[in-house]
Amino acid sequence: MYHAVLTRTYLTTKVMPLLAALAVMLCAAMVLIVWSVMGGFLVKLLESGRATSGDVKITFPNQGFAHYDELVKMLEADTAFVAAAAPIIETAGLVSLPDDRLEIATIRGVDAASYSRVIDLPGMLHWKPLDTPVPKDTLGRDPRLDPELREKMARAFENGLTMTRPDPISGKPVPAMISGIEMTGLSFRQFGGWYEFRPQFVNAIGKTLPDGSVTWINGFMPDKFLTLRLLPIDSEGRVVEMASLTLPVANEHRTGVFELDKRMILVPLAELQAKLKMDESRGVAARDPYDPDAPATVARTIPARVTTVVVRAKPGVSPDELRSRAEAVYARWEADHRGRVPSASLMKANSLIRTWKMEQQQIVDAVENEIGMVVMLLTFISFTASFLILAIFWAMVSEKTKDVGILRAIGASRLGVAWVWVRYGLAIGILGSTLGLTLAYLIVTNINEIHDWLGANLGIVIWKPNVYYFAEIPRKINPLHAGFVFAGGIAMSLIGAVVPAWRAATMDPVRALRFE
Amino acid sequence: MPTTDVNSPMVSSAAGPTAGQPVLRARGVRKTYRLGRVNVPVLRGVDLDVGAGEMLAILGKSGSGKSTLLHLMGGLDRADADGGGEIAFDGRSIRSMSARELNDYRCSTIGFVFQFYHLLPELTVLNNVCLAAMVRWGRLGYSSRRAGIEARASELLEAFGLGGRLKHRPAELSGGERQRVAIARALINEPRVLLADEPTGNLDRATGSQILDLLAEHQRRTGLTMVLVTHDNEVAARAGRSVRLVDGVVAV
Repeated sequence: MYHAVLTRTYLTTKVMPLLAALAVMLCAAMVLIVWSVMGGFLVKLLESGRATSGDVKITFPNQGFAHYDELVKMLEADTAFVAAAAPIIETAGLVSLPDDRLEIATIRGVDAASYSRVIDLPGMLHWKPLDTPVPKDTLGRDPRLDPELREKMARAFENGLTMTRPDPISGKPVPAMISGIEMTGLSFRQFGGWYEFRPQFVNAIGKTLPDGSVTWINGFMPDKFLTLRLLPIDSEGRVVEMASLTLPVANEHRTGVFELDKRMILVPLAELQAKLKMDESRGVAARDPYDPDAPATVARTIPARVTTVVVRAKPGVSPDELRSRAEAVYARWEADHRGRVPSASLMKANSLIRTWKMEQQQIVDAVENEIGMVVMLLTFISFTASFLILAIFWAMVSEKTKDVGILRAIGASRLGVAWVWVRYGLAIGILGSTLGLTLAYLIVTNINEIHDWLGANLGIVIWKPNVYYFAEIPRKINPLHAGFVFAGGIAMSLIGAVVPAWRAATMDPVRALRFE
Repeated sequence: MPTTDVNSPMVSSAAGPTAGQPVLRARGVRKTYRLGRVNVPVLRGVDLDVGAGEMLAILGKSGSGKSTLLHLMGGLDRADADGGGEIAFDGRSIRSMSARELNDYRCSTIGFVFQFYHLLPELTVLNNVCLAAMVRWGRLGYSSRRAGIEARASELLEAFGLGGRLKHRPAELSGGERQRVAIARALINEPRVLLADEPTGNLDRATGSQILDLLAEHQRRTGLTMVLVTHDNEVAARAGRSVRLVDGVVAV
């Protein structure tokens, strides 16, 4: 009982313990803010990846596999786990950009209708009419807000959804592609995180003509065409002759993952299948030379192929759960087509059925390592608070030496005296950590506003949307991380309190009573 | 190692009790302090009996070892390990008590009063008095007895003329009032022995006299055993019996 009374009394009548609590608060807040922002960055990266690539991908690269429609059907029949599945082709190629640069591109052949069921295609499309500016576009300069461009934006959005663009002569929709917003260099990322293409606002890019003059090619990418150079590979893995595919651009995508926005192009699946010789092909037998009216007979059919099936999980199903499920479905499907599709054991052994996180393991690991390192460094730095508490407690125990003697004289045990100080440390830890978490919560949830204020008033800009890619600083606190920081703050205080508590407990009571 | 029989007859008439059976008995008590490389013997073989219900004054000059003897009797300090003699309470050697038993002994059996009051400055008068009961009963025990303990503390303080000062802090009290609070704290657990170390040493004569009156009155009323340590003959004269400590031994 006396422990509680003394803890409360010391805590409410002294300034020093409040300073110690303040130190714990600042350390706890510092660690949690950094952890939240960096952790939020990773979460955002993973969420963006999942939004563009689904929860699980079943891939057999380049050659691909046939009978994918059945696999999609079997996956979608597993309604407890699977929300939707879609076949796609993923291949590498070269893209000829408007300024004649040739860049390596990840070309993804998708069927707009089925792909939209797995991926948030409307969300990926960048050019669409906007009613409200994005958070950092305080002056509303985003061209998507421009009333004069509204119709253009609406048309680009419609075209993007169907992956078509009206033919300028016939007016009929023809297949079109969706390029990454960072790919061509015609859309310039602005400081506020939005994109500008209007020549009056951005530096022009141009290309040199044979006569040495330069032509300027700025403008709206969905008005232009792109040409892809492809390397078809047959079902046996042999390279067929190079192919070229020129298509109009329907829209540009912005996924939130820089690598995808820089490299990925979405092309209608049927067009890509045809160019890559992955569509269904029929071998025709020779006609009967004696019967000119006899029809040609199909001697052999080679079914169409895709390289990948992307799968979206039902809400509440984790990507890892879905992956296990997809492996099981794949095994059943493979049993139906044994010898004609990649074996289930091969797929499993090579992790060819994987989550987005597995696919991006390298970058995820790198970011996770970075977070771990920063949090560890900050934790070490925060240990200075332990020494601060130790110093404060040491001074307080010295000041309270006589109290220790009094307590011992009225029968308090050594352990009881130690517990007074340990408990005191605990109280400071709880108080400091609680305040620290509160402070961190207030800062993290308002971090963008604080950052904007710092930028506007002091000219301090730490998070540049045009560098970090996400327009806003992540502002979510992971409750588990908060729990760790809370426990860490308390542990830190206890560590600081233990040595002075031990000192108090081992004091000679007679000397303590005589202490001046 | 020489041994001392704590139950043996009195060795000095000056150290023997005049009232009741001995409740505290010291035999051949020695205590040496080490100051740097030098051993300083403070007690050189004290024999002393304190009878139940007795009010004994231990008289001596500064440095004669009287406070040390009080601390040893109260279990706050230990006599020399080698040939340090024995102090027994109710026939049981204090040296044989475990740390826990010694804590209980200081808490429940002994009540200490010090020259400089030794109150906790941040606590109120009431909490200072109840502190000893908190230590004795622990959280649960104290909570269940809280009302009774606080009533007794108030009663004691009322009896000592501090009824209106329960919520005050020690800094708001005079020296005499502080000492009365310290006495109330020493009495809250109804100890069997009160050990007072120069209880009036820090007070003016009139206030000191009031404190002694208060102690004498309480002793008369309750029959509490009291040992007063003082260097003042007049204070010693207020006790039922007094012994003089000279150079670490009881003067015959």
